[in-house]
Amino acid sequence: MSAIIRLGMSTSDIAAGAEATFLALQSAVRHRQLPVEIKRTGSLGASHREPVVDVEIDGQSTLYGPVTPERVRPLLDQHFGSGGRGVSSDWLISRRNDRSDYPFLGKQVKVTTRLCGLIDPYSLEDYLAHDGYEALKKALKMSPEEVVQAVLDSKLRGRGGAGFPTGIKWNLIRKSPNFPKYLICNADEGDPGAFMDRATIEGDPHKLLEGMIIAAYAIGASRGYIYARAEYPLAVSILRHAINQAREYGALGKNILGSGLDFDLTIKEGAGAFVCGEETALMHSIEGKRGMPTMRPPYPAQSGLWGYPSNINNVETLASISSIVLNGPDWFAGLGTDKSGGTKAFALTGAIQRSGLVEVPIGTPLRELIYDIGGGCADGHDLKAVQMGGPSGGCIPANLMDTIIDYDELRATGAIMGSGGMVVLDDTVSMVNMAHYFLSFTQDESCGKCVPCRVGTRKMLNILQRLLAGRGRMTDIDNLRRLCITVGQGSLCGLGQTAPNPVLTTLRYFEDEYMAALEGGANGNVQAQLAAEVTA
Amino acid sequence: MIKLTIDGKTVHANPGDHVLDVALENGIDIPHLCHHKDLFPSGSCRMCLVQVEGAPRPQTSCGMTVQDGMVIDTKTGAIEAMRRDIVDLFVSDHPLNCVICDKNGSCDLQDNAYRYNIQETSFDFELSRPKYYDDNPFYVRDYQYCIMCGKCVRVCDEIVGANAIDFSGRGFTSIISTPFEVPLAESDCVFCGNCVQICPTAALLPRSKIGKGREWEMERRQTICGYCGVGCTVEYALKDGKIIYAQGTPDGAVNGEFLCVKGRFGWDFNSSPDRLTEPLIRKDLAYELGLTDEPWEMPKTSALKGKPKLGNFIPVSWEQAIDITATKLAGIVQKHGPDAVVGLTSARCTNEENYLFQKFMRAGVGTNNVDHCARL
Repeated sequence: MSAIIRLGMSTSDIAAGAEATFLALQSAVRHRQLPVEIKRTGSLGASHREPVVDVEIDGQSTLYGPVTPERVRPLLDQHFGSGGRGVSSDWLISRRNDRSDYPFLGKQVKVTTRLCGLIDPYSLEDYLAHDGYEALKKALKMSPEEVVQAVLDSKLRGRGGAGFPTGIKWNLIRKSPNFPKYLICNADEGDPGAFMDRATIEGDPHKLLEGMIIAAYAIGASRGYIYARAEYPLAVSILRHAINQAREYGALGKNILGSGLDFDLTIKEGAGAFVCGEETALMHSIEGKRGMPTMRPPYPAQSGLWGYPSNINNVETLASISSIVLNGPDWFAGLGTDKSGGTKAFALTGAIQRSGLVEVPIGTPLRELIYDIGGGCADGHDLKAVQMGGPSGGCIPANLMDTIIDYDELRATGAIMGSGGMVVLDDTVSMVNMAHYFLSFTQDESCGKCVPCRVGTRKMLNILQRLLAGRGRMTDIDNLRRLCITVGQGSLCGLGQTAPNPVLTTLRYFEDEYMAALEGGANGNVQAQLAAEVTA
Repeated sequence: MIKLTIDGKTVHANPGDHVLDVALENGIDIPHLCHHKDLFPSGSCRMCLVQVEGAPRPQTSCGMTVQDGMVIDTKTGAIEAMRRDIVDLFVSDHPLNCVICDKNGSCDLQDNAYRYNIQETSFDFELSRPKYYDDNPFYVRDYQYCIMCGKCVRVCDEIVGANAIDFSGRGFTSIISTPFEVPLAESDCVFCGNCVQICPTAALLPRSKIGKGREWEMERRQTICGYCGVGCTVEYALKDGKIIYAQGTPDGAVNGEFLCVKGRFGWDFNSSPDRLTEPLIRKDLAYELGLTDEPWEMPKTSALKGKPKLGNFIPVSWEQAIDITATKLAGIVQKHGPDAVVGLTSARCTNEENYLFQKFMRAGVGTNNVDHCARL
């Protein structure tokens, strides 16, 4: 009998109490002298059921969660002892290997998070056992042009939110005659409620590294940086560990895997500024300067880090690369839509029944994600809207849930794909309040360089505060619309340009709430909600 | 040569030129607040936004390099409306105290408020950084007037190299500050005051200017700075014959618009009561020459000790002074030979004066004993 017990030990599992569960599990297994390997893995994504334990015996996996320390004993009894007393169906998640009995997991299509929750992120052997670094070996046998072509053919678009085709970006820097070239991974995941990158790094760090090494080979970069949030200490330590392993394995450093390619990586921890997710600000931060955006052009591909050509990709983008190389661009493109290939991970949070990290093919209707995978709103409430893309994104009202997840389709609604934050709002939420929340975030995170963002967002926030307090003025809504244009069109960087999106979309779909607030403040807002509920 | 169209006018430019500079050179006025021709563009004031044909959103013209065939519109209705809103936002965070403001008449923000006919903000007036620093003898920092254009930070970094100040804090309350807000004297500031000169508003003002008159009352006079051999052009602003402040001028041949601490702030000697303004001769010599009836003897204590006593001298005319000096000098040369005389001149004289002086010593007196205070 071969038995493996996997326990999720990512940041979110630990927050749910996985450390206590691990200790209980470890001492019970030792005490009973069970022939079981305990594997500490990343997160499977099912945040609503964490800590999650996966008992795999002779290839047959059973998933439990949440597993508190008290539940360890009955769980071990069930599989290795006298029988099934004490195991409740309440904390049984899935009995099937394909998870088809649990739609939250069964309906997902996992590419970048495929191994998260399966392998030990500290173990290179685990990664190698799942085709690890095979894509790199394959890529090194191809020419750099062929690798770029494969990425072009895969229709991979930047997962950071803007959706610029990755292959085109790579081609731009490839053709630059200047050296050295830098490859930068943007792991400064700052959107409130978003944790896709953290989960990917904590679950499968080598997938990111492999993607980066292939990218470096393709674009001709000799040095790479991973700009990671300092608020992700576990992810950073796992990454450091993985980089050292990769160096020992020969996948980083001089003459990578005997191919003659030289490439090495440095981790740069951010200091907690949201604006450092903007690529020019990010590069200034790496240089040791204040993280403030500068004008583009020049684009990073022309003059980036220390004035040299630089290529910045998001974690998820780079983590997709090895799958593209290994399984072929056609397979990846086939997962998505005509214009955009592959899958996208989302951090599903808010008033949703089954929250967590989900990965679905591009082109999946929102409805499927919210209802089939997420199980709809919690506590019997009705869905009101979905806020996508965090503070830079917008809300999509419940009647547009047939919109498919695709860069252009989502943009048409006023929202954006974003980096993957997806906050579900039920009918108890005041949309003016929601807009106020996100705007107060961007207002606070503005770097202060340009006036539309620094002062404009403040004025917008003042208006929203006034409306919520019932002291709205007749000119407020007009001023708000005016400011949306000035801030959105006039700001220097993406932070300011997208800051009005939550206001713009709520004004577009929920103008009645603004009007009610103008008439009666927060009370008016509640009344408008009641009215909406009655008519619905 | 690159050809582009701005507001329907075909203009020529060199590769690498920025659209704003090209427009200004060709008499096309694009409003701007954070631009300076000697600094790298920053794009922070957003006033120079223009519409480039084919671009999805307005672009900042200060940092945009010209491209062949570009078609640019600098004054579309949408852009002018946006500029007006931007000035509106600026003045929502800047007291319009123009009546009592020392910058009145030379304030870029005031000019733009006038241009867009803004009397007061249409948003909520709210001061983000009401901080006032009066921590040095040269200039005051009144941050309620600051519009965060960042020109002071850039001039300190790019031109002066002192890097004494930078952006600090974030969002609405961000501010220009020394590291950890230490007083300027404890920072790396060299008090050159180029930030004061370049500041578009009253956030940075020379102390000497405060309350001393309106800009339009002042007479401007250009001269060459007398402090060192660089020969910077200085422009003094005078009122009633008194210097109010000094600044560089954009057409300064050597220094451009920039000065050092001495040229900018070291002019108070000009109206000092201690200043010698006429030739003086010592009283004992004057008695000897019959210029005074009062006999006088040199005190035994060293003349170098204590304050110089003007009572030991009497004023004479220039003719008399030169005549006495020439006679005495000729007497020494005749009695002890030319090498008994040494000439020392000053870095504060012009090249021409220094040339004449050595010529006088060598050809007139007949000695090579000539030296200069700057020959170290």
